Amino acid sequence: MNKALVILWKDALSEFRARELVPSVLVFALLVIVIFHFAFELGAERARSVAPGILWVTFTFAGVLGLNRSFAQEKERGSLAGLVLCPVDSDTIYLGKMLSSLMFMLIVEAIILPIFSILFNLFVFMPELAVIAVLATVGFASVGTLFSALAVNTKTREIMLPILFFPIVSPVIIAAVKATELALAGGSWANLSSWLEIIGTFDIIFLVVASLVFEFVIEE
Amino acid sequence: MENMTYVFAAFAIVWAVVFGYIFSLSHRQRQLRREIDSLKEKNDDAPG
Amino acid sequence: MKGREIQRSDILLGLSFLLMIAALYLVFIYVPTEATMGVVQRIFYFHVPVAWVAFLAFLVVFVGSILYLGKRESKWDILAYSSAEVGIVFTTLVLITGPLWAKPTWGVWWVWDARLTTTLVLWLIYLAYLMVRSFALEESQGARFAAVVGIVGFIDVPIVALTIVLSRTQHPGPVIFEGGLAASMLLTLLVCLAAFTVLYVLLLQLRISLREAEVEIAKLKQAQSP
Repeated sequence: MNKALVILWKDALSEFRARELVPSVLVFALLVIVIFHFAFELGAERARSVAPGILWVTFTFAGVLGLNRSFAQEKERGSLAGLVLCPVDSDTIYLGKMLSSLMFMLIVEAIILPIFSILFNLFVFMPELAVIAVLATVGFASVGTLFSALAVNTKTREIMLPILFFPIVSPVIIAAVKATELALAGGSWANLSSWLEIIGTFDIIFLVVASLVFEFVIEE
Repeated sequence: MENMTYVFAAFAIVWAVVFGYIFSLSHRQRQLRREIDSLKEKNDDAPG
Repeated sequence: MKGREIQRSDILLGLSFLLMIAALYLVFIYVPTEATMGVVQRIFYFHVPVAWVAFLAFLVVFVGSILYLGKRESKWDILAYSSAEVGIVFTTLVLITGPLWAKPTWGVWWVWDARLTTTLVLWLIYLAYLMVRSFALEESQGARFAAVVGIVGFIDVPIVALTIVLSRTQHPGPVIFEGGLAASMLLTLLVCLAAFTVLYVLLLQLRISLREAEVEIAKLKQAQSP
């Protein structure tokens, strides 16, 4: 666990110094929101109904972009190969990379949320939403870490990641949108529970499976 | 479309796809067999 | 060995043909028309077995992928690859017969409900399985990556089942297991299921032998170019 935290710390430090990823992904997320606004010509009532979907599409696209870039950076610097040579278990590497992707995505989401709230005139600062976001993002990070390590080693890496990522993670997106809809409409925890269960189950299953299978992706 | 036509269409498409797939598989199989035979001949002819 | 192979696929072909004829008879002549949905309901006897067989195909991909990653023997990779391709063909059929049933019944070709969406998603996952192979940097890496996708992708299937149980949507619910089927319908369904399963095995065999030929060619070509 300690070694995983070291990997997380190293990634956090390098991003903090470079400050490349977070700003660029934020700008991208903002663009997505603006484009959706123009695409749908949203008046106040319609905005409320499509807001959950737009929020989660934004989170998903931003997440994929971030994942792509972070592993591509690793590959370019050759540090992925270096990591593999260390006397560390592959599932520790997985855990470390997953935690750093998770942290990155949560930071981006935390910044997007207030902006979203302003642009859509919707109050989104409720604990329900935070829980949904964290659970779903764990799902994104668990699948995304595995597949971006894979995609970065292919000929068409920017395309390969979304193609792998979106279908597999779609149950999480669907459940997250449904739950967000319910939460924004003032639903109770009881309403949300079945959707949260789906996301939670997905998270556990994928964390386990991905960490088991990660070694086959990074082996040389 | 009248309803029975939908049933027929479903059935016809299933068969079209299945037969099309089988056909393409056998066609490729024949092509590959020919290629394998010619490659094997070249291997036998070539020195060692 | 060649002689025995030909015999086996001949038997399969014959069995498949007979089962299909039986299925045809049962679906179009024997089984009574369903009360609520009318004639169109007969598509159910193709749609459901094809869906189940597609799931079976992806289960085979799952098992083959695990075995390949464990043992690294080419035959498991060939099995997984072939079953994935046949599975995609069958899933395509589910996605085609579904709308053909939907349009006369609900008035629309497609609805974005849980079961339909997840079937579409499954189709995309296994398409990605095939793509990973062609976009990998070399053959063995492609096989390894595809095996990973084959394992992780299959996890989606029980989630499909979970969403089916949890959602009460437009798509007909799990009628079969709740005992809502008349005996004649159950018989028809089972015979169709048998027919399509045998067809799957047949197609799988064909694809495997084609794939073995492809692998052999690659090896021969490598031997020739030093």
